[in-house]
Amino acid sequence: MNHRSNYIGYAIARLAQSIVVIALAYTFTFLIINVLPGDPITNMLLDPENGFSPADIEPIIAYYGLDKPVLEQLWIALSRFVVGDLGISLRSNLPVSGLVLSALPSTLVLALSALAVALVVAFLLAFASQNLPPRYGQGLLRLLPAASLSVPAFIIGIFLIQIFAFQFGLFRITSPNSFAATAFAAIALGIPVSAQIAEVLIANLDHEARQEYFSVARSRGLSRFELFAHHQFRPSSLPVVTMIALAIGELLGGSLITESIFGRTGIGSLVQGAVSSQDYPVIQAVVSLAAAVFVIVNLIADLVYPLLDPRLRTRNRGREPLADEPLVDTEAVAK
Amino acid sequence: MNMPYTIDLPDLLHVEGLSVSYGGETVVQNASFALKKGQALALIGESGSGKSTIAKAVLGLLPETARTAGRISFKDRNLLELSDRVFRPLRGRSIGFVPQDPQNALNPVRTIGAHAHESARLLDLSGRTAERTAIFETLELVGLSEPERIYRSYPHELSGGMLQRVLIGLAVLPRPEVIVADEPTSALDVTIQKRILDLLSRLRSSLDLSLLLITHDLALAAERADSVVVLKGGEVQETGPSSRVFLKPSSDYTRKLQNDVPSLNPFRFRTAERRANAGEGTGDPFIRVQSVSRIFDTGDRQVRAVDDVSFSLQSGRTHALVGESGSGKTTLARLLLGLDTPDSGAITVNGQRVHGRSTSALRDLRRDLQLVYQNPFTSLDPTWKVKSIVREPLDRYAIGSRQERDERVHEAISAVGLSEDLLRRRPAALSGGQRQRVAIARALTLRPKMLVLDEPTSALDVTVQAGIVEALFALQERFGLTYLFVSHDLSLVRQVADTVSVLRHGRLIEQGPVDQIFENPAEPYTRLLLESIPAANAAQSAAAQPGYARLSLVKTA
Repeated sequence: MNHRSNYIGYAIARLAQSIVVIALAYTFTFLIINVLPGDPITNMLLDPENGFSPADIEPIIAYYGLDKPVLEQLWIALSRFVVGDLGISLRSNLPVSGLVLSALPSTLVLALSALAVALVVAFLLAFASQNLPPRYGQGLLRLLPAASLSVPAFIIGIFLIQIFAFQFGLFRITSPNSFAATAFAAIALGIPVSAQIAEVLIANLDHEARQEYFSVARSRGLSRFELFAHHQFRPSSLPVVTMIALAIGELLGGSLITESIFGRTGIGSLVQGAVSSQDYPVIQAVVSLAAAVFVIVNLIADLVYPLLDPRLRTRNRGREPLADEPLVDTEAVAK
Repeated sequence: MNMPYTIDLPDLLHVEGLSVSYGGETVVQNASFALKKGQALALIGESGSGKSTIAKAVLGLLPETARTAGRISFKDRNLLELSDRVFRPLRGRSIGFVPQDPQNALNPVRTIGAHAHESARLLDLSGRTAERTAIFETLELVGLSEPERIYRSYPHELSGGMLQRVLIGLAVLPRPEVIVADEPTSALDVTIQKRILDLLSRLRSSLDLSLLLITHDLALAAERADSVVVLKGGEVQETGPSSRVFLKPSSDYTRKLQNDVPSLNPFRFRTAERRANAGEGTGDPFIRVQSVSRIFDTGDRQVRAVDDVSFSLQSGRTHALVGESGSGKTTLARLLLGLDTPDSGAITVNGQRVHGRSTSALRDLRRDLQLVYQNPFTSLDPTWKVKSIVREPLDRYAIGSRQERDERVHEAISAVGLSEDLLRRRPAALSGGQRQRVAIARALTLRPKMLVLDEPTSALDVTVQAGIVEALFALQERFGLTYLFVSHDLSLVRQVADTVSVLRHGRLIEQGPVDQIFENPAEPYTRLLLESIPAANAAQSAAAQPGYARLSLVKTA
C-alpha cells in the first residue's frame, strides 16, 4: 500500500535489469566479432598489408590476452569495460574511450536538436489536427505524417542541402558545424521521427475525444481550450514518453547517415573509419555505447511513466478501492 | 418530502417535434414532451430507441454530423439553435449531466479535486479556498464521508458506487435546474443502484432539481419518475404520468415491455407444478459441489474468491448463482467447468470428479458441460460464418462424417429458433439476440447434458432477453438439459431458476428453492438484495392510493 516504497523497489529492479542488459549487449557484440573464423584482431595484425612488425604485435596480443581462450578474453574485456576502459584503437593507437568521447558531443547535439524539432513539429501537427476547422485543410494536414514517414531521412537531407545551401545559400556545407548547417541537419533527421510521434499523438487525441469523460467534461461547460489541454492532450501525451525513448535509438542510428550527408564529424565518421580499417575495439565500443544509450533512455522512460500516470502508481489496480459505504445498510437490516 | 403532483407547475424544458438524423438515418422522429419544474421525467426505451440521442440533444452534445429539426425550449430559448459558444454557459450551470458508466466518466490522469474545481468555478466564488469548501460540502452531501481524501484521489482509486456519487456531486455543485441522468445506475450492483437512486431522489427535493432520467428499466422509471415517455425506434409510443402508463399502458409496445420485464412477471415461464417441486430431487444429483474454496494471492494479501461453498443440482433442473460483483459466482462457474482448480473441496459431475483428471479425461467430461458466455458481441469470432462457428465444437471433437456434422448444425440452429439462411452470415450481420442464440446453438451441437449460462442476457434488451429465456426453457424441456445460471439480476433468476444460491464475498449466504428464498429470505443480505430491486409492486400499490399520482419513493436513511 505504500506507493513510495513500491516505486523505489520498482526503480531498483529496473536499474539492475538495465545493467544486466548492457553487459549482455557487450558480451553479445564481443562474441559475434569472435565467432568469425579466426580471431579478428590477430588476423588483422598478421595481414602484411597493415604493416605491423612482430615487435608491434606482441604487446597488443598480451594486452587483449589473444593467446588465451575466447571466454578468458571476454572476461578481460568485460572487466575493463566495467571500469570504462574500452581498449586501444588498433589504427591510431589511442584509447578508444578518448576517441568516443571526442566524437560524442557533435552527435549528441545533432540527435537532441533533431528530437526538439521532432517534438515541436509533432505537437504543432497534433494541435492543428484537433483545432483547425475542417475547411482550412485539416484533412490534408492529417495526411502529412503518413506522407513524410514514407520519405527516408537522407532524401530529406539531400533536398535541404540542394535548396537551402546551394539555391539560397543559407548555409555552407564546407562549415558543417555552423548553427545553420546543424539546424538543417536536425530538421532532416527530425522530420521522419516527428511524423511517427504525430501519428500516434493524433490517433490518441481522436481516441480521447470519443471517451465518455471527454463529453462529460464538456457537459461541465469547459472551454474548448480547457477541454483540449486537460481532457484530451494530457492523457494522449503519455504514450509519447515511450515514443521518445524509441525515437532516441532511431535518431542515433539516423545521425550516422545524416552526419555523412552533411559532412559532419561525430560517432558516424568514427564508426565508418573503424569499419573500413577493421578497428575492432572501436566497433565494439560504439555498438556497446549505442546499446547502453538505448537501455538508459528506456530506463528513464519507464521510471518517468508512473510519475505521469497515476494508475501505474498503485500496485493493486482496481482490486482494492477505498472502502465503499458498507454494503449492508444497518437500518435496512434492523427493519 | 413528497410533493403532491399538481398540473400547474410550469414547464422547464419543452421538447416539441424533435427529430435527429445522421446522414440519411433518422434516429429520433418527431418526439415531444415536457419536463415540469421540480419533477422527474423518464425516457424509457431499449437500445436504438433514441433515448440517449434525445439526452445528448438536450445537453447540446450531439456530434456535428447530426441534423436536427423541431424545438427544445429552455428559458424561452431554443437549445437546438444555440451555437456552442452560447450554449456553453448553460452547461453545468443550468443543465447538469450524470453519465452511464462512472468508471469511464472521469479523466484517469486527473484527481477528483481537479474535476471538482471545473464544476466549482461555475459558482463564481472568490478563490480556490472558497471553491474547496463548496466541493467538500457537496461531496458530503452526496454521501462521501471523507471529502478530503476523495478530493485527493484519482478515479481508479474509488469504487463504481463512489465514482457515481462523485459524478452526481459534480453535476449538482453548480446548482443547475435540470439534471440529465443517462442510465445512471445500469453499470452498478443492485444494492449500490438503490443507494444512488435514493440519493438522486433526495437531492431532487432538497435542491429543487428537475430530473430527466434515461433508462431501459420500466420498473425503475415507475418507481422514480413522475411521468414517462416510452420510445421505440426513435418514435414516442406513449407519454403520461408514470402510474397511468404503468397500470394502464395504452400502446402495444409498453404492454409488451411490461410483459417482458422479469420483476413484473416472476411466474411467466415456470409452471406451478415445476415451482411446487423446485426443491425436490430424485436419485443422485447431477452436480455436486462440496466445500469448495478458491483463494487468489494478490501479492499483499489473499482473496478468498470462493469460500467453502456447497450445493447440488438434479438433472434437468436449473440452479442459479446470484451475487454482486466480487461475490465469486463466476469463479465458481469456472471451477465447475474445470477451467480452474479449487484449493480445497471437490466437484463431481454425473458422479465423476472434475479435478485431478488427465487433460483428455477432462476434455471428455467437457463434452457434457458447455458454456454460454455473457456477451454475444465478443464471444463470436467476427471473421467466421455462423455455420463454422456452430460446427466448430463438432470439428474439434471429430464427431461423425462431414454430412452428419452439417445435419447437427442445422438441428441446433433450428432448435434455438433461428432460420437456416442465417448460417451463411457473419456475426456482424446479426442482432444481439440472434448472436446469443448462435452462441447457444454452438453449445448445443455436442448434445451436452448441461449448460453453464454466465449472465447470458445481461448485454441484451429486455424484450430480446424474454425471447432468449423462452428458448432456453423450450430447450430444457426438449433435451432434458441441466442449467447452471449465473446472474446478478434477481428478478431474472426468480423467473428462470428452480433453486438458488445467494453469494457474497465468496461465501454462501443462503440457498434453497427460488420461491422460498424470494418470499421468505432468512438472511439480512438476501432481504437487502430483494429490497433493492426497483419496486414495481410497491409502485403499483402506491399509485393506487388516491391523491398521490407521484409514486412513493423508498425512504432513505
